[in-house]
Amino acid sequence: MKKAKWIHGLFAGSLSLLLAACGGGGEAQPTANQASPQGEQTSAEPAQPAEGSKSLVIYTARDKNIFEIVLPKFKEKYPDIEVETLEMGAQQILERVRAEKANPQADFWWGGTQSALSTAAKEGLLESYKPTFADKIPAEYKDPQDRWYGEMLLPEVIMYNPQALKPEEVPKDWDDLIDPKYKDKIVIRGVLPSGTMRTIYGAMIYRQDPNDPQKGYEWLKKLDANTKEYTQDPTNLYLKLDRQEGAISLWNLQDILLQSKKNNHPFDFVYPASGAPILVDGVGIVKGAKNMDAAQKFYEFLFSPEIAAQLAKERFQFPSRTDISKDDLPDFMKNLELKPLELDWDVMAEKDKEWMEYWDQNIKGKGAQ
Amino acid sequence: MKPELQQTPLPTLPKRRVSFASSPYFVYVLVAPLFLVLLAYVVYPLFQTFVASVQVDGRLSFENYREFFSLEHSSNLEALWTSIYISVLSVITCGIVGVSLAFLLERYEFPGRKILSVLALVPMALPPLIGVLSFTFLYGESGIIPRALKELFQLEQVPFSLKGVWGVLVVHTFTMYTYFFMTASAAIKGLDPSLEEAAANLGANRLTIWRRVILPMLTPSIVASSLLVFMIAMASYTAPLVFGIDRTMTMQVYLSRTNGSLDMAATQSTILSVVSILFLLLMRWYQGARNYQNMSKGISVHRTEVKSKTGKYVAMVLSFIAMVILLLPILVLVLISFSVDGTWTVQILPPEYTVSHYLELFTDSQTWRPVVNSFKLSAIATAGIVVFGVAAAYAMVRLPFRGKTLLDVLIMVPWALPGTVVAINLITAFSEPTIFSFQQVLIGTFWMIPLAYFVRHLPLVFRSTSATLLQMDRSVEEAARNLGASWWYSFRRVVLPMALSGVLAGTLLALVQCIGEFVASILIFTTKTIPLSVAVYQRMYSFEFGTACAYGVLQILLIILVLFVTKRFIGDKNGPVI
Repeated sequence: MKKAKWIHGLFAGSLSLLLAACGGGGEAQPTANQASPQGEQTSAEPAQPAEGSKSLVIYTARDKNIFEIVLPKFKEKYPDIEVETLEMGAQQILERVRAEKANPQADFWWGGTQSALSTAAKEGLLESYKPTFADKIPAEYKDPQDRWYGEMLLPEVIMYNPQALKPEEVPKDWDDLIDPKYKDKIVIRGVLPSGTMRTIYGAMIYRQDPNDPQKGYEWLKKLDANTKEYTQDPTNLYLKLDRQEGAISLWNLQDILLQSKKNNHPFDFVYPASGAPILVDGVGIVKGAKNMDAAQKFYEFLFSPEIAAQLAKERFQFPSRTDISKDDLPDFMKNLELKPLELDWDVMAEKDKEWMEYWDQNIKGKGAQ
Repeated sequence: MKPELQQTPLPTLPKRRVSFASSPYFVYVLVAPLFLVLLAYVVYPLFQTFVASVQVDGRLSFENYREFFSLEHSSNLEALWTSIYISVLSVITCGIVGVSLAFLLERYEFPGRKILSVLALVPMALPPLIGVLSFTFLYGESGIIPRALKELFQLEQVPFSLKGVWGVLVVHTFTMYTYFFMTASAAIKGLDPSLEEAAANLGANRLTIWRRVILPMLTPSIVASSLLVFMIAMASYTAPLVFGIDRTMTMQVYLSRTNGSLDMAATQSTILSVVSILFLLLMRWYQGARNYQNMSKGISVHRTEVKSKTGKYVAMVLSFIAMVILLLPILVLVLISFSVDGTWTVQILPPEYTVSHYLELFTDSQTWRPVVNSFKLSAIATAGIVVFGVAAAYAMVRLPFRGKTLLDVLIMVPWALPGTVVAINLITAFSEPTIFSFQQVLIGTFWMIPLAYFVRHLPLVFRSTSATLLQMDRSVEEAARNLGASWWYSFRRVVLPMALSGVLAGTLLALVQCIGEFVASILIFTTKTIPLSVAVYQRMYSFEFGTACAYGVLQILLIILVLFVTKRFIGDKNGPVI
């Protein structure tokens, strides 16, 4: 995004004109009250640079449950690196990194959906860095130019509240969801702002027929008819399921497990019989990071087999690395075959905007008619 | 005031000042700093947004605007329409509730008045994020009241739930009527009751007096608060979303940014500002078409006492109901702050209780820091806002200079933009050294947050102060000047005391808004300056609702404390002025 010089020139010109206009009568001394707040506003402290010991600034969208495990261990290994973490949503990280482009404040971006990371990569916000474990990560889970790497896999599955549904009532596959008996039982996290939901919906269209989205639209229309509400954020989705305003949703496996095992939510999941879209959640180094060395150290540390195995065991995180020994993984992961839905990610990315716009304009809230 | 006035005839210096101050150019010296600051922190960032909106692939193009208004993809127009009508309706409902409440509390004496007049300000203290949530916990489909009614009457379904436009309007009215209430209260305090008495003596009935005397006299404050409410409703984000209205302008901006179409997002922001500016111009025109200056001689308002027995009972019951409505959302927060996270599912009230959230709050020094941070950041910002806002309001109302409308627009615009856009503008503008930041890089420093708060909440003090000044007859100040008082002296001893109620109302609003500010804060906080609202968000994000609500309760208590202290402070100050 280059900015035209002439516009700046115009602005500077009008600025000086305005200044001149404002300053007419300049020889007069203003009376005392006009102490403008400028001084107060801007006599800034110098920005904190890395002094002596190294520092590392991480923007993270990860759950507290996760960085509480990782950070102390990192500190143990690298006691001289002062780590600062700023917790935000994935979208807010993108906004911040984008806005700070001219003078990046962050070094490491920990936790971004594939769509957020690709957007950032396309806008030139991420540094190219090839980690030592690069070849251990399958091509579909990393950026071809090494600007981001998938840290974990997120199978998108059917989530339900076992207190609200009997075991025999639970849908077993995607197509069960559009059965009229589930009318008003489904709650969905607002689709457009969520990379996860967009992928699931895209996958549903792709599954019907990638060349002619009409069939997929029909399917989504039936899903919309069964959908009671679209919630503004995950927090509200969990709340509505907890409180049985709805019983079923579509969500990623790790969060379902994390929320039910760590945060006491009555959630369980069904792995759809025909397979699930498997999303990836990744990390990247911010372009122009001031603590490049520390960021790389953290990168390597985060993906190390020990940490990956621990996160798998304690935080149900499916590692993207293929070389983690089965013995190090928890039982449920060993027994669960991650059957992927056959998808062409390039087509999905290319069609995403068109399909979602159509859904938003013509399907959302109109399925029941 | 007499003794001070006698001191004024002083030697040569003040005389020189008087002669200089009477030069027609003097006024430009006064307003120059105002324009400069606005240029740096409002115009410059805004201009960059506009530039981004007319640049597609590096060329000058209005493609985005064409797309916005094209009928093929109607979602943008639909969003514009929804935003506008929700905002207009919000102004109307807030106006009715706020002005009538202000009038009731300022003019009538009835049992429960005192406590109600403090509680009326409580909605201001409701923290933005969890505040809206507390409404859904109360009136939503799984909320306490619908569920209780269902249980009580053995119904199949919950009888009602707060949803859609109605939900948004209820939340907007509840949280925004305070703008009307505060400015209208300030104005009613300065209203001379003898005017009404005169009208009554001349045979006007109650309705005519309201229509022809009271409302016209309140015009400046009603205009001021209409503007504030209209703009904040346009920029409202959480409330529409929670109630399932997601085709609004703010949401469109958000979506465009998520999609990576930054130029479209800039276009939408620009259009959002243009709508608000048009509303501002409309309001200015309306205000200019009327006269409402008050030859107040500082008459104290006497309250009519409700005397009849039935009247007293009715008043008591009604004010009790009002109190319950005002307090319920806060009580819900208190309730959740004591409940065990994740246990409240299908019950009417939380089943398990704990004090651990508060223990954590008071034993962990980490949890305390955001509270201190928020107060520090907000205090600095508010100090700047008061100095600058009062100066701007005075210049606006009293000084003759060209470019008044421009000044007005410039000050108000940041209020009309979504917080995200304001923050992004500031980050973009100050991520590199510029002359406006004295060649300093501001992002990543402590000063970024106070600056954002300053820009965003300046309109509050500016509006409320200029509304009170408009209501005041300028001959009072002229009299002081004729008696030999210097400009500064008369400003300090005459203008300021008379405008004090308006200034304080705005200051309070600004301080409270700063403490609750979230959308901009989340984009500019640093690890050393995590404000309260961000801490609340982080707790909610990791689903620690109990702690989030405990934070919220603490925030409410602190704000109520501030309100209480200022109320006493005004009480003490008002005496000598009158």
